[in-house]
Amino acid sequence: MGRWEYFLKRVLLMVPIVFLGTTVTFLILRVGPIDPAAAIIGPSGDTEAYAAIRDSLGLDQPLWIQYAEFMRDLLTLQLGESWVVVRGQSVWELVGVYGPRTLWLGFWSILIPIFVGLPLGFYAGLNPNTLADYIASFGGIVWRAMPNFWLAVIFVSVLTQSDALFGFSWGDWLVETQIVTPPDLSGLWEPTQFLGALKAILPAALVLGSASMGNEMRIGRTAVLETKNANYVEMAKAKGVPGRLVVWKHMFRIALIPLIPVITGEAFLLLGGSVLVETVFAINGLGYLFFQATINGDVPLVGSLMFLFILLSVGINILQDFLYTVIDPRVGYDGGA
Amino acid sequence: MGADTDVGSGSTRTGEFREEASRPEGDRDLPLSERITRNPGPAATWAAVVAVLIAAEFGAIVSGLLSVPPWGWVGGLVPGVVEPVAALLATVAERGAELPTITSRSVIDNTGYQTPSGWEGTTLGLSPAVAWALRVAVIYTYSFTWLLVGWWGYTLYRRHYRIPDWTPRDDVVNRFRRHSWGLFGLTIVFAFVVMALFAPVLGPTTVDQNIENPYENRIDYYNDETGQVESIFVGEANGDTQSRGQGDNNVGPLEYDQYDRFHPFGTLPDGKDLFTFMASGARVSLLVGLTSLGIAGGFAMVFAMLTAYYKGLVDLGVVIAGDSIQAMPQLLFIILASFVLSDTWIAEVYNGGLVLAILFGITGWPALWRAVRGPALQVSEREWIDAAKSYGQRPRVTMQKHMLPYVVGYFLIYASLSLGGVIIGIAGLSFLGLGIEAPVPEWGRAVSAGQPYVATQSWHISLIPGILVVIIVTGFNALGDGVRDAIDPESDIGDGGNENVAAGGGA
Repeated sequence: MGRWEYFLKRVLLMVPIVFLGTTVTFLILRVGPIDPAAAIIGPSGDTEAYAAIRDSLGLDQPLWIQYAEFMRDLLTLQLGESWVVVRGQSVWELVGVYGPRTLWLGFWSILIPIFVGLPLGFYAGLNPNTLADYIASFGGIVWRAMPNFWLAVIFVSVLTQSDALFGFSWGDWLVETQIVTPPDLSGLWEPTQFLGALKAILPAALVLGSASMGNEMRIGRTAVLETKNANYVEMAKAKGVPGRLVVWKHMFRIALIPLIPVITGEAFLLLGGSVLVETVFAINGLGYLFFQATINGDVPLVGSLMFLFILLSVGINILQDFLYTVIDPRVGYDGGA
Repeated sequence: MGADTDVGSGSTRTGEFREEASRPEGDRDLPLSERITRNPGPAATWAAVVAVLIAAEFGAIVSGLLSVPPWGWVGGLVPGVVEPVAALLATVAERGAELPTITSRSVIDNTGYQTPSGWEGTTLGLSPAVAWALRVAVIYTYSFTWLLVGWWGYTLYRRHYRIPDWTPRDDVVNRFRRHSWGLFGLTIVFAFVVMALFAPVLGPTTVDQNIENPYENRIDYYNDETGQVESIFVGEANGDTQSRGQGDNNVGPLEYDQYDRFHPFGTLPDGKDLFTFMASGARVSLLVGLTSLGIAGGFAMVFAMLTAYYKGLVDLGVVIAGDSIQAMPQLLFIILASFVLSDTWIAEVYNGGLVLAILFGITGWPALWRAVRGPALQVSEREWIDAAKSYGQRPRVTMQKHMLPYVVGYFLIYASLSLGGVIIGIAGLSFLGLGIEAPVPEWGRAVSAGQPYVATQSWHISLIPGILVVIIVTGFNALGDGVRDAIDPESDIGDGGNENVAAGGGA
């Protein structure tokens, strides 16, 4: 089976997955033990409003019609509107407000670990079994084991009181920023705005990227150890290629393939784990919106957001398969999915 | 891993258990009980030691085993015949709990008060700190003795009673024994399990007295001003021993409060004892984690067997089902589902623990299944599977006898990794105020309670639970690494794609 044929097959496989995932969401929300209308209206039961909500959500229709409408609306991307969190606001508008913050957080929490974890791993691999290697490796293991929400709590407390603790004020450093607040994403093309937005998101991105930073370090270390004695590296050295170039040109590429699942896996964690980090840092992103919608019983908003998350994860999966297909010529159906 | 009866290859092995002096040739075909009767010495010594260990904890073991079934419910099922028996067993369980054991709170009592002439109420007049430390030491010595006795029993079996003098499993065990990182993990994990198992006696006080019903229990203390012993509700005492960062409002780790209660980890913001809270929380985490792992593992193993045996469409179906579940972010899915189920009867079982376990199980199986799918596919291509098929063996038997044993080891690796993840996930949910209901202790709630005080003198409330989670998750990861290296030293599974199993859905 050709590489692209395999890729196409993987993409086709995503269709039933979106369908099934959305169906499960429907079953939980509409067939499960909660009454969506009662959840929306809360304990202050007002029969007229209750009937109105039931009517407009179509809850009195037969279940299969409800299901067909639910699927039709979502698959045609008519996401409806919020009922409780921001009453009457369309879900698309809400996503437009909350989404960029999560994207910004996600972007940096993928990028920063790569730029910290990989070089550290390379360093450890080039100096194996030295004290520095042990410290780096053990640090990576411990760093990976830290619960994100706990790390976030520590970061927030230490940074908000950095002045008293270290005589260094994180809030005033370089550009003035708040620590527990959504980042200001307007005018990113201006250097100070960009720096401010980056600084505001930096601690949260470090926390969210902690798990993958440990993994990336391990991958970098293994890649160096595996290739250090390979013939082509010896050859390059014998030819007089400078050491730095050997690392980046020959060893780095080996590290790229195992890096893909870590990065895409990181994107998954980001979708799910951002709830906690966004709550602690008050970033008000998509995870936080989903959490608020859930605990407030905003059933239509929850359904639409879950559908978006399913689309996103499926998109990430396709991206991963695409990257594999492009980078690693060995990928095929036999090579294992 | 070859067939387990491959005795011949033993001759090429070098191991510590090669000396065969006490294993006569004639024993080969006898059942184990016969082999023991022929050479009862080692087994008898071992059994005697085990008997002593059991006797030391007899009451706790009996009541522990008998108090698991809900006797009232069982009795109501068949009134008349079963009811008196059930009632009797329930009484036995209660009486058993009253029997003294070496780890009872009453044997080494750490509750007392200090008068000018010394400590009153504690065992031997020791200070509460020393008495508590002594009890903890006894509990851990007792538990680790069990571990050693278990290992000793295994070596006795291997040396004196097992028919083949070498099996491939021996190599796995020997490799693990030399894997110091894995042993470190095993030690941590075992210590955590002991903490969960002995939670009620480990704490300096009890959950009932200190956390759940503080206004139904009283303690005595010595009042310096009146010079008399007075009594106070635990709830009122807790009100005076809060840890809230500023001024005198702090009882830190290893400190006494003004009622002479010792707090190994300090107190919570509401004045309750953090160590008691943590020990009890360990029990909740471990129980929920293991249950969810049982559910996820059951699904994963059954699916792995089916997909490896039938391949094709069955495989595709499970891929789609698994991917659909994984397409929904785990933590968000659990938040949603636990909200939906919050008003049903199932949410009340074990204070919401059962729902959490089921949800983590349902969302966790695809990752586990992916982890064992490769090895399962590999083994399904072996000749002996073909042979079994052509002999007309039923598929179920083939899977159980010839495929499952090969995959179990790989399953253990990921079970160990994902248990750490589930513990983090549960803590994350209770940090958000979801999952296990208050006031039942859960670690995440301690982190949440201590959040405003991290950078103050009451730092212990958030930091200690977090550090414990880090240590335990590291322990589970190390154990997983050790098992992996022991099973398959050449493999590089566990690197890359499935690392995120250990991350608890990003909590």
